[in-house]
Amino acid sequence: MADLQIAGLMKQFGGFTAVNDVNITVHDGEFVFLLGPSGCGKTTTLRMIAGLEMPTSGRIEIAGRNVTFLRPRHRNIGMVFQDYGLYRHMTVFGNIAYPLEVRGLDKRAIADKVGAVAKTMQITDALQKKPDQLSAGQLQRVAIARMLVRDADVFLMDEPMSHLDAQLRGQMRAELRHIQKTVGVTTIFVTHDQLEAMTMADRIIVMKDGRMLQFATPREIFERPATEFVASFVGEPQMNILDCTLRRGDGAMLADCGPFAVTLDAGWVRANGLAKRDGQKLRLGIRPEHVSVGRDAGETHPVATELYSFEPTGAENLYVLRSGSVQVTTRTSTTETAHLGKTEGTRLAMRFDPNWIYLFDPDDGRTIAYAAASRPDAAEDAA
Amino acid sequence: MATIDTTITSPDAPPVQRNGWVYAVIIAVCVVNFLPYLWVVMTGFMDGAAAASRAPQWIFTPTLDAFRYLIFEKGIMSNFMNSLIVALCSTFFSVTIGMFCAYALARYDFIGRDDVSFWVLTNRMMPPVAVLIPIFVIFQTLKLLDTLPGLILLYTAMQLPFVVWMLTGYFRDIPRRYEESAMVDGDTWFQAFRKVTLPLMMPSITATAIFVMILSWNEFAFATFLTSTNAKTMPPAIMAYSIGADIEWNVLGAAVVLITAPLILFVLVMQRQLISGLSQGVVKK
Repeated sequence: MADLQIAGLMKQFGGFTAVNDVNITVHDGEFVFLLGPSGCGKTTTLRMIAGLEMPTSGRIEIAGRNVTFLRPRHRNIGMVFQDYGLYRHMTVFGNIAYPLEVRGLDKRAIADKVGAVAKTMQITDALQKKPDQLSAGQLQRVAIARMLVRDADVFLMDEPMSHLDAQLRGQMRAELRHIQKTVGVTTIFVTHDQLEAMTMADRIIVMKDGRMLQFATPREIFERPATEFVASFVGEPQMNILDCTLRRGDGAMLADCGPFAVTLDAGWVRANGLAKRDGQKLRLGIRPEHVSVGRDAGETHPVATELYSFEPTGAENLYVLRSGSVQVTTRTSTTETAHLGKTEGTRLAMRFDPNWIYLFDPDDGRTIAYAAASRPDAAEDAA
Repeated sequence: MATIDTTITSPDAPPVQRNGWVYAVIIAVCVVNFLPYLWVVMTGFMDGAAAASRAPQWIFTPTLDAFRYLIFEKGIMSNFMNSLIVALCSTFFSVTIGMFCAYALARYDFIGRDDVSFWVLTNRMMPPVAVLIPIFVIFQTLKLLDTLPGLILLYTAMQLPFVVWMLTGYFRDIPRRYEESAMVDGDTWFQAFRKVTLPLMMPSITATAIFVMILSWNEFAFATFLTSTNAKTMPPAIMAYSIGADIEWNVLGAAVVLITAPLILFVLVMQRQLISGLSQGVVKK
């Protein structure tokens, strides 16, 4: 158990920079996620922490010990690979016992430890089987057991759930989170699945093109995304991002989206100094759950639209609305919108909640104004 | 434009495949392949008169005369031992050395890697006989003529390209994560290679070794030129019985049995490994 510090980490493959200036401080026992699209450098970062890849520059410290260029075996880490990395010529027992045998523990101690871990992961029945005979879910458990059996300083997990079906993944999420908190070992988890990161993480590092975009708690990432990319990457369905132009309307600032204009909250405009951006082209973001749908255009739902497609998901209805060339996805509870038309082409109206509107810079993607209702986390800040 | 006859309806049961003729073809191929060999083996157990007679005799009294003659009077077992030693040693060395070479080619990305592996392949493209004279001279200079170490060295060198090419492909099929996983678990690179990669490679290595063994066992051209008495192997030794005006067919037959029997037995025993090794990587989990 230990904290992990990464400073100025960089990795180049030839002329290509895979990881660029990553700075992370992970506290003891924290569950931290590296989240990003494929090719964003998250796996390379993890492999550098593991010692499977040597950084071009930077420094990695585990428990205050510089391990930057050490071989994996000197780092005291446990790791789960994407396709498990189990040895198919050994039994499950052999696989789990392997890291202990390498360290020269005696047979009794090994059997005890493996037995205990197998019990935690509920794979006691599978111990004498070969990996070929197991299901994907069991393989997953064995791979995690193999990591847990070690008294490692840091656990590393490289998209361990990508081969599981949706249902198993849901179960594993809760279980893994529980185990991580019980064992209390600092864990770094790589994933491209924002749902996994949001549900399990203590803190999330969002990466893109080798750079860290944001390092914060899931709630902060969700409510106060640092860039447009983070905002649209996290959350399902995605945040609506519309091109808009700020202009002064009668008595209030408006974000003109083309077919319609959204009235902005006066206090929020003042707090973010938006008045001086009058006439600028910006990007407006609003999450689907903050767009409400009504039958008729009017005071409560000022924007007239047409239903483009209707997607019921059970508890919630997704209305994809179109107004001119602008498309907006909304998410509402099924009961709330039960009375509304559901055939494509139905005329409906919508309203943007002014407390949940974000503005992004169209050039560098940075957030210009966070939603008025979002609050920064009081907890420790990001790197 | 062709029209489809829509009046045809489906029969009640699926049409039966009649593939009997395939078996006829297979049997014909087998007969053509095995009959000559069967005949040679039978000749080996005939006495001199029966073997030399013009009318083929299918029924005869088997005798071990020819074997007795070869083993006790001609001492062919010393050639047999030479063959065995040379084949085993050259297989061992070429597979061991080739394994590391193949591993390096499969795992490490270095400048000129593709050139190296192509160069390795070109070594097999050249007909070995083309370098017979230079090698003879080299062997003469190094005093390796008619010695077992000389033959072992030569065969090892000859088989290496084949081993490297076979094994490179198989190593590529084994994901790197196995080794990485072992290294994270605390192994050094070599421990990971020995305890994780090698066991996974064993079927492929065995299959390759069997091939190399067969090639070394049967090698004729170099063995004929580079050995005379001390290190003479089976192929040139048997050659002696098949030239000249007065060929003793039963002796030749017995010699053929002696040279082929070990290989046939060996392959029969190793059949499972051979097939699983060759198909490894094809059947993937």
